Amino acid sequence: MMFRVNLAATLVMALGFLGSAQAEESEAQLGRATYARANCVGCHKWHGNGGGGYGGAALSLRKTQLDREQIVKTVTCGRPGTGMPSFLRGVYDDDAKEHPCYDFSQKDLTGDNHVAEAGTFLRPNEIEAVADYVLKNIMGHGDPNLAECVAFFGDTSRVCEIYKPKTSHQMPTPSTQN
Amino acid sequence: MKARTLNLRLLAGAALACLISGSAYADGGPAADKPATVKSADVTTERLLNANKEMADGNWITHHGNLWGQRYSPLAQINKDTVKGLHVAWTMQLGGLEGGGIWSHGGLEGTPLAENGYLYVTDGWGSVYKIDARGGKGTLIWKMDPKTDHDWAGAVACCGVDNRGAALYKNLVISHTLDGRLIATDKETGQVKWQRAVANPDKGEVVTGAPLIVKNMAITGVAGAEYGIRGWIAATDLDTQKEVWRTYTIPTKGEAGIESWKGANSAEVAGGGSTWVTGSYDAANNTIVWGVGNPGPDWDNAFRPGDNLYTDSSLAVDADTGKIKWHFQHTPNDPYDYDSVGENVLVDVGDKKLALHANRNGFGYAVDRTDGKFEWATAFVKKVTWTKGINPKTGKPEEYDAGKDVQTYLAAATPTRDKALADFCPGNMGGKNWPPTSYNPELKLWYIPVIESCNRVTIAPEKALPAKSREFFTGGGPSQPFRITGSVTAIDVTTGKVAGKFETKFPNLGGTLATKDLVFSGEPSGEVFALDGKTLEKLWGFNTGGGVSAPPMTFQVDGKQYVAILVGLGGAWDKWFIDSTPELKTMQPGSMLYVFGL
Repeated sequence: MMFRVNLAATLVMALGFLGSAQAEESEAQLGRATYARANCVGCHKWHGNGGGGYGGAALSLRKTQLDREQIVKTVTCGRPGTGMPSFLRGVYDDDAKEHPCYDFSQKDLTGDNHVAEAGTFLRPNEIEAVADYVLKNIMGHGDPNLAECVAFFGDTSRVCEIYKPKTSHQMPTPSTQN
Repeated sequence: MKARTLNLRLLAGAALACLISGSAYADGGPAADKPATVKSADVTTERLLNANKEMADGNWITHHGNLWGQRYSPLAQINKDTVKGLHVAWTMQLGGLEGGGIWSHGGLEGTPLAENGYLYVTDGWGSVYKIDARGGKGTLIWKMDPKTDHDWAGAVACCGVDNRGAALYKNLVISHTLDGRLIATDKETGQVKWQRAVANPDKGEVVTGAPLIVKNMAITGVAGAEYGIRGWIAATDLDTQKEVWRTYTIPTKGEAGIESWKGANSAEVAGGGSTWVTGSYDAANNTIVWGVGNPGPDWDNAFRPGDNLYTDSSLAVDADTGKIKWHFQHTPNDPYDYDSVGENVLVDVGDKKLALHANRNGFGYAVDRTDGKFEWATAFVKKVTWTKGINPKTGKPEEYDAGKDVQTYLAAATPTRDKALADFCPGNMGGKNWPPTSYNPELKLWYIPVIESCNRVTIAPEKALPAKSREFFTGGGPSQPFRITGSVTAIDVTTGKVAGKFETKFPNLGGTLATKDLVFSGEPSGEVFALDGKTLEKLWGFNTGGGVSAPPMTFQVDGKQYVAILVGLGGAWDKWFIDSTPELKTMQPGSMLYVFGL
């Protein structure tokens, strides 16, 4: 009997552990996938270092001092007067009951308070996943490296090879359908 | 006897082609009611030099229609009297929509080629499609997928997953890939004969333009000035696959032009000068005329004191050696990202031999194409704030000061290190971007696809040359607080004056096609339209439901004229510039060939 209880408890614990590891993994995947899909990469780059570019000058997420709540708010609301867009649909609607972003509604977003709307809206859980992804995988990290690059892009592309010692390469083999 | 041999050969070719398509469609399939496949003749230098005759016969065998870059077809079944009856003849869904690098999707910017009733089109990732356009419908004969490395190239493509088309040489289809390859595909079978790496994304180089075939060479241009490349134009011998020449658009020590890079920063490291739009060829002078892009970094011009040759210039090179013959620079020490990468259209007006170029800076220029001597410049946009105008004698902006290392032009509209934020018109996309102009040699009218724009740039000074490749090196960035519209604007090249303007709600991101009495173009909101070639009055329109960012072309098959255009918003607009055209946020990515007929 005792044995059975222990076995059951161990099984529950083991499953629980596996479950939480899986949950963590899938949370990280959601964060990474959202970071790519929502075009954070367009300005902050895959590695989060930001810098100038066609999307404007984006801040470094590696060096940011923001906490989780502040990151969630920045992604949700955008930053007035900068290129950082708002990612939650309707947060500045004039007729909304509450104005969660700086107390601004659409009519306030003129001139230097302009906030662009993101090309892709996110759900609140996706915004949280992105914030967690930034906190865990980007913030406080030093220069981007091969392992981080491969974790982001996988290893099927040459995209990370500038982080490797120089090697020679084969060109891809084209294929024809007819 | 000779004729009989030829016929036998044709029959044998047709039988072989039947066998090939028969293997794909053993059950009858979509090609079953088509006439037997015919083998096309080799595309020779002679045919390319006589592309106007080819167009009269219904073909379109080189990127800009002819080697002079004119995009004018004499086909006239579709004319101002009949165009009202133009309707969709057939469509074909293509691929290449997938994302990669910093891009969520690919798009279409290509010009289809047409030869003997077959079309050759490319998608953004460089797949080539051969389509049988005979019998009033389209049938895919083959698709060559180059297996482009999406992330490797897509992460350093500043402005979209794009490929602007293929070229024909002998029995080969010659094409580029974003990841820098030049590929030769057998025109009949779709099998790749060879490929060669011309550009290297490890250095931030990608290739988006169509190759230009000159003699036995493919001429390749490169993109990447936003990533600190040193630009070039390269010629590959298509028979030996060896490089014939490579001319850098940024000089090195000891070369002419190096004196125009005065600071301590080495121009060779990150000077920019991309060449990603297909140029033109003047056989009489054996000269290739090609546009050169912006300097690097784009906006922080104090980083690179001097005029920064040969950025923002039209460059003429000897076709056999690549040696620079002349240049004409439009915006020296550019602080706006007003590149000159757009095509040069070669035209004869009276006894003048001109090269026309519509620049991002809002002015259309004419220079003597034999020596680069300035003839005239005309503002083709409604609003110019960065300069009072172009000096009619020198061709330089009025405020250009040769004694100054860092130009400020009209200071109120120029971002500098001291005044980091400035609004200027036209905005950094132009003016006129890569979408090609067209020229009607009978009416002597030049039709410019215009982005009527202003935007805002904030300077973020670059402190040092880039330590790593594949990183943006722009010295700041643009934002879009102003609404942007568009137009098709005609310039009469006999007077150098604007002859008409057809305004559009959205910027023109696709380019124009001229026929005897019509101009065709499209809008990123989906509309394809035809204008009266003289009055620019709109005569016909059709909404494709997808964003148009590609130029129309025309061809004839089975005795019937068609207009073809690729539809599927490509390029940089929906990522970087969408705030200026908020209604376009609803446009979905797409990838479709539209063919219109009467």
